[in-house]
Amino acid sequence: MKLGADLTKEEKKMVNKMFWRSGAMYASVNPVTMGGGGFCYAMMPFINYFYKNNEEKRREALARHTSYFSTTIPCASFVMGIAGSMEKENSEKEDFDANSITSIKTSLMGPLAGIGDSLFWGVWRVVAAGLAIGLANAGNIFAPILFLLAFNIPNVLCRYYGAYLGYSLGSQYIQKMYANGLIEVLTKAASIVGLIMVGAMTSQTVIFKTILNFSMQGQSVMDVQSALDSIFVGIIPLMLTFGCFKLLEKKVSVITLIFGIVVLGILLSVFGIC
Amino acid sequence: MYDAIVVAIAVFIGVAGHELLGMAMLSRPIVVAPLTGLLMGDLQTGLIVGAALETIFMGVVNIGISSTAEPALAAGLAAAFAIKLGGNVDTIIPLVFPLAVLGLQLMNMIFSFVIGPFAPKFRELALEGKDRQITRLHFGLWFLHYGLYALIPFFAVLFGSDVVQKILESIPEVIMNGLTVAGNMLPAVGMAMLMRMLWDNKIAVYFLAGFVCVAYLKLPLISIAALGIVVAVVMAQVDFQIKNVSRAKAAVTSAAETDDKEDFFA
Repeated sequence: MKLGADLTKEEKKMVNKMFWRSGAMYASVNPVTMGGGGFCYAMMPFINYFYKNNEEKRREALARHTSYFSTTIPCASFVMGIAGSMEKENSEKEDFDANSITSIKTSLMGPLAGIGDSLFWGVWRVVAAGLAIGLANAGNIFAPILFLLAFNIPNVLCRYYGAYLGYSLGSQYIQKMYANGLIEVLTKAASIVGLIMVGAMTSQTVIFKTILNFSMQGQSVMDVQSALDSIFVGIIPLMLTFGCFKLLEKKVSVITLIFGIVVLGILLSVFGIC
Repeated sequence: MYDAIVVAIAVFIGVAGHELLGMAMLSRPIVVAPLTGLLMGDLQTGLIVGAALETIFMGVVNIGISSTAEPALAAGLAAAFAIKLGGNVDTIIPLVFPLAVLGLQLMNMIFSFVIGPFAPKFRELALEGKDRQITRLHFGLWFLHYGLYALIPFFAVLFGSDVVQKILESIPEVIMNGLTVAGNMLPAVGMAMLMRMLWDNKIAVYFLAGFVCVAYLKLPLISIAALGIVVAVVMAQVDFQIKNVSRAKAAVTSAAETDDKEDFFA
């Protein structure tokens, strides 16, 4: 494959570094930003190179990539590649809208996770395990090794070529759009998809279910969860997320929000609401 | 003591290696159980246990908060007890499974209660431009997360799994449950952080569209992204047309103006 043939030596080096770092994306996985810390770690080769003469923008870029990110690992490097090529544009062009980088990331992570999870976790892992279980039952010591090789060769190849594909596609198209003055249109379009995906992911990842049940003489008169659902499905997660959003805008720190939610969770459990 | 250390190492290599090496599946029973067997000097039993547990866990896709038992812990303990106590897998599994279920709850507890509070630290360090510290925090959290977790098999083999199970069960159910409830709500903070970056009152309604697509229509994310692209392309075309029309209008009016001027000067 001649992927990345038109990249400079320096760019190839960065993409390679990013590839090696991308595997450890989930090392610092946390419930708030998932692989956000790892995404930033993987982006460092790009950021430190493109912004080496602009400390303020370098810090902004680092902070940008600590935000929420979650996708299947073999697909992660593709997004990192695209993000890297956009960081390059952002470092060169004054009027580039850096938020479009976050929009693109946000639009891609969900669909890629859907494809990647079902392909790698659902299909390929089961095939690899099926092969290995037979061998292991026969006492063959190569069973675990075969399993790891069978699963990881496509896994790593996908991540390796994904890194190059993302970066070259990104640099090719984004430069073209920039040259044609389409970048404003692209930025808005990306923000639209980004916001739709944030809405979708909010409904999918923020989960609240109450077990509260009012009963009279041993007969249930109101199941609170279904009453809430009949008002608007997912009304509590929606309000919770908007509450966090408003509090963040009021400069409440993230750590306060996290502890607040942990305390809230325990209180809800103590009072038998959840 | 040796056995306890070895099982803890095997479980650590499994769960921590899996995350470090790009979802390498090191945490699957078919790897962890033979590894435990190898370190304890009975690879054959490890392989048999691994095959049996892998079959059981085949359906369990361990993503995020919701699943029942933790495969790596179950595999490490099952292999260790099968080797130490003898006996077949069928008698060992009921012995280790309750602990593996508790183990997963404990993993979630470490996840939201120990690791969670570190989440904003990344952004703080980034804003100060300290990339080296970010790297250190990234791997520090990795070690903390799975190192703490590996203590469960360590103590389980050292003192017997029933003792550890009793201790873990002494953590009040309401607290465990409360942390799970909190863990389910914590992504709200991550989403809110994303919204802060993407929010724009002119296009904010699209957020609601995405939400309804999942909440009511139960659409998978891929289809929502596809629909989103359709909307975005249509909007982009409209924007582009408006841009062209206003450009054309500007051209017409400026042309008209020059005509006027010419008349005036003529």
